[in-house]
Amino acid sequence: MDFMEMSLLVYLLGTVTLVWPKKAELGAHYFGMLCSIVASGMVVFSSLNYLLSSGSRWLIDLSWGQYSLQADGWSGAFLLLTGVAGVIISIYALDYGKGYLGSRIRALGGLWNLFLLSIVLVLISGDAFTFIVSWEIMALVSFMLVNHESEKKKTLSAAYQYMVMTHIGTAAIMVAFYLVGSSADSFSFADMARNSLYGYMRNAAFVFAFAGFALKSGLMPLHIWLPNAHPAAPSHVSALMSGVMLKVALYGFGRFAFQFIGMDVFWYGLIVMIMGLVSAFLGVLYATMEVDMKRILAYSSVENMGIIFSAFGCGMVLYSMNFPMLSVVAFTAALVHAFSHSLMKGLLFMSAGCVMHATGSKNIEHMGGLAKKMPYTALFTLIGCMALSSMPFTSGLVGEWLTLQSFITLAQQAGSPEMRLLVVFAFIMLGLTGATALGCFVRMYGIAFLGRARTHIVEKAHEMPFFMLAGLGLEAVLIVLVGVMPDLLVNLMQKVVSGTGITPMGNPLGIMWGGSGYYALYSPALIFIVFALIGVFVVASIYGSATFQAKEVTWNCGTVPTSRQQYSATGFSKPLRRAFDGILNPKRRTTYLRKEHAYFGRKLHYELSIPDLFNDKLYKPLQQMLINSSSSFHRIQEGSVSIYIGYTMVAMIVVLIWGVLL
Amino acid sequence: MEYIMTSIGLSLVQGFVLLLIAPLVAGIINKVKARLQKRQGASIFQEYFDICKWWKKATILTPYTGVIFVLAPVVYFMTSFMAATMVPGFLTGQFSMGDAFIFVYILALGRFFMTLSSMDAATSFGGMGGSREIYISVLVEPAVMLAILINSIRYHSTTLSAMVIDYNEAFFTVSAVLACVAFFLVMLAENSRLPVDNPDTHLELTMIHECMTLEYSGKLLSLIHLGSYLKIVVFLALFGALYVPVEIPLALKVLLGAVLIGIVETLNNKMRLFKVRVYLGAAIVLLLLAIIAE
Repeated sequence: MDFMEMSLLVYLLGTVTLVWPKKAELGAHYFGMLCSIVASGMVVFSSLNYLLSSGSRWLIDLSWGQYSLQADGWSGAFLLLTGVAGVIISIYALDYGKGYLGSRIRALGGLWNLFLLSIVLVLISGDAFTFIVSWEIMALVSFMLVNHESEKKKTLSAAYQYMVMTHIGTAAIMVAFYLVGSSADSFSFADMARNSLYGYMRNAAFVFAFAGFALKSGLMPLHIWLPNAHPAAPSHVSALMSGVMLKVALYGFGRFAFQFIGMDVFWYGLIVMIMGLVSAFLGVLYATMEVDMKRILAYSSVENMGIIFSAFGCGMVLYSMNFPMLSVVAFTAALVHAFSHSLMKGLLFMSAGCVMHATGSKNIEHMGGLAKKMPYTALFTLIGCMALSSMPFTSGLVGEWLTLQSFITLAQQAGSPEMRLLVVFAFIMLGLTGATALGCFVRMYGIAFLGRARTHIVEKAHEMPFFMLAGLGLEAVLIVLVGVMPDLLVNLMQKVVSGTGITPMGNPLGIMWGGSGYYALYSPALIFIVFALIGVFVVASIYGSATFQAKEVTWNCGTVPTSRQQYSATGFSKPLRRAFDGILNPKRRTTYLRKEHAYFGRKLHYELSIPDLFNDKLYKPLQQMLINSSSSFHRIQEGSVSIYIGYTMVAMIVVLIWGVLL
Repeated sequence: MEYIMTSIGLSLVQGFVLLLIAPLVAGIINKVKARLQKRQGASIFQEYFDICKWWKKATILTPYTGVIFVLAPVVYFMTSFMAATMVPGFLTGQFSMGDAFIFVYILALGRFFMTLSSMDAATSFGGMGGSREIYISVLVEPAVMLAILINSIRYHSTTLSAMVIDYNEAFFTVSAVLACVAFFLVMLAENSRLPVDNPDTHLELTMIHECMTLEYSGKLLSLIHLGSYLKIVVFLALFGALYVPVEIPLALKVLLGAVLIGIVETLNNKMRLFKVRVYLGAAIVLLLLAIIAE
């Protein structure tokens, strides 16, 4: 029995908490979380095994009949990500989950294990049936987890929206599997790779597969469930959903692209790339407009999945242009960014949980000055925010840099003016995305953690218990570790990509140590050392003497500032809202309550809402169309039984006549 | 290993040299402006005196601020210095620790901390400055990306040392000239100069970079100013080395660039904040044309 099989069993053992006696709820919680920690640890070990083996296919001996489990390098990469996130978020949940004592905590623990189990099963399934079944379990369990606080009306509607959307996605994926499998006369992945799809059928298979997986990973315009579902779920669940479940969609799409459908058609990659780029920019733009911490993070997930898919699409385009060697850079970028996004989004969702735990609110407009109340949480959150703004020395920049490099590679191969225009579009989008992401997380951190408390809810805030901080800290350490020494991860992921059948290559990008003659260079370790040296020098020259004696109230044109005079989150994003109002369509309403004076002492009421572009322009008309078309059937649905019997009779007669005539 | 150590040593020396001349370049810009406005103006060494003056003064903190507030000027200065060590054309040779994208992101690290610190003093001045800084940086970033793109298409590399302009190949070609003009526009916006921001005031009409630094005093203030001066020099050097298609010594290019900034700042008014997107849109269109023409 190897680690993989054992981990599956331990996850199963963890679901025992579902039937745990109600008196020992806390015990159930600890047991469930310990099981998931141990099992996820085993997943990490076994994934390293698949990653380090020489690219060839590794079968776990667990096949029975038509169903089979197997793993190769491509699943190994995602298993690693799942395992790492599983261990760390479960450690966090040891303390965080206690907040649910008395409200179905046993179910939470059991479903948590089942969720992780289903994710791992999706990643190691070796045929379409196992894949679809585990995919469906994953969808149902995550639905139940999102719906955990079902007393809240918002949660309920978010959960059902998620349920409907994810099933549309599953339907599309099933069609794609059917198309590929029926042409290969088998539904095992190994046989499906030898399918004989061509022409329209192949295009259809691609479109269905991409639609299904893009929906699950929240690419625009299929993202509308995501900003509602993530904030509704308990924080550790949103961390896992955003950090891991979205990437499982990338896993599935990669399997289709590499193995089943192929990437030699130019427009396949083009669609993926453009949808990725648009999601990246629009996602981060909406994130910058939100004031709910978890909605900010959810929209930022749309952004990052966009970046990942744009890199993947860039790879597909390069491959279709007959540069398989260069496409490796792009696919590696997608994998590395997926891994690093899983770390940083896990960290930030967990710290959103900390903030909710401390203040009872998710709205950053009510916060301020949290850094003084909870210094460690603030430090780790800062690292997460830096990573999501792709700052140097964090894993965020590694993924972002590789993505930029893959687009540069595309640019250098693009001779025709149309391709040049495409590349320019890509760089404009990436540039806008990068800078807006910086603004978004500066705003989130600055408003919530810096300055002064805006309302009294901050006063009772306190530092978090040990295991919650440990979860945050572990993620932060990994982010910095990957950020400063990325070569291990990058080489590993490059090996994975080479293992999928694309020609392997040397290392054209000097990523570890500086040098000359490279085509592109990034040596974070070296920059870090030099930066630290300069830093020590500067800090020593400042703090050498007693400099900071005087304390004086902030300058406010001669008055003592109140905490309400600080810039608000809504105000902070105003210039961007104005610059992109064509996209955002902000709906503003200002009402003046004049009592005595026209100008002095009047009360203002300001309302702002930013409807999601696709919700308004795509889904609402679609919904209206559905309702209209179904109400046109109303006429034949009279509701009286005799009419239905009449229908049945008419149908019988038609069938009989048909049978006689043919 | 020895090669790396020597190269890093040379880069650091280059950083120090640029740091030493940075206040002088800022002084020259101010002198040019003063003379064009028919004023005598301060001495070109005035910025050295200012920095020394602030360095000697006590640093006053407000009770609301935390670690970020003290850390931000240090990081801002360090990122400018780091950028100065990476500029090609002086001492660095072919060696580099990061390419053009890393250069951009290192400067972004400084901006990250400065905008954070603007919110730490808990007043509307700082927040307003930070918010506008973000707005401008969002509009500048695509232009910066395209400016990198054009040279990396031309020279098949993204390292700064490889992107240095080749006079034989790009001597007054259409794309080189367009890129040169566009990068100058980008440089003004990136360094908070007129017509995007006014470096001489922090009052309501501008309220961007100077507004963010309103609460700073003493050594922290002098670090911020040193960082800003250094950033101008770094951008001028980069402009000269990568985008000016004329074969003259780099030091002269930096000097002429400084004079040009002085002239442009005298001729132009600060534009309305929401007009900036048109201004930077023009830079993006120029770069787009340059890339198509390349």
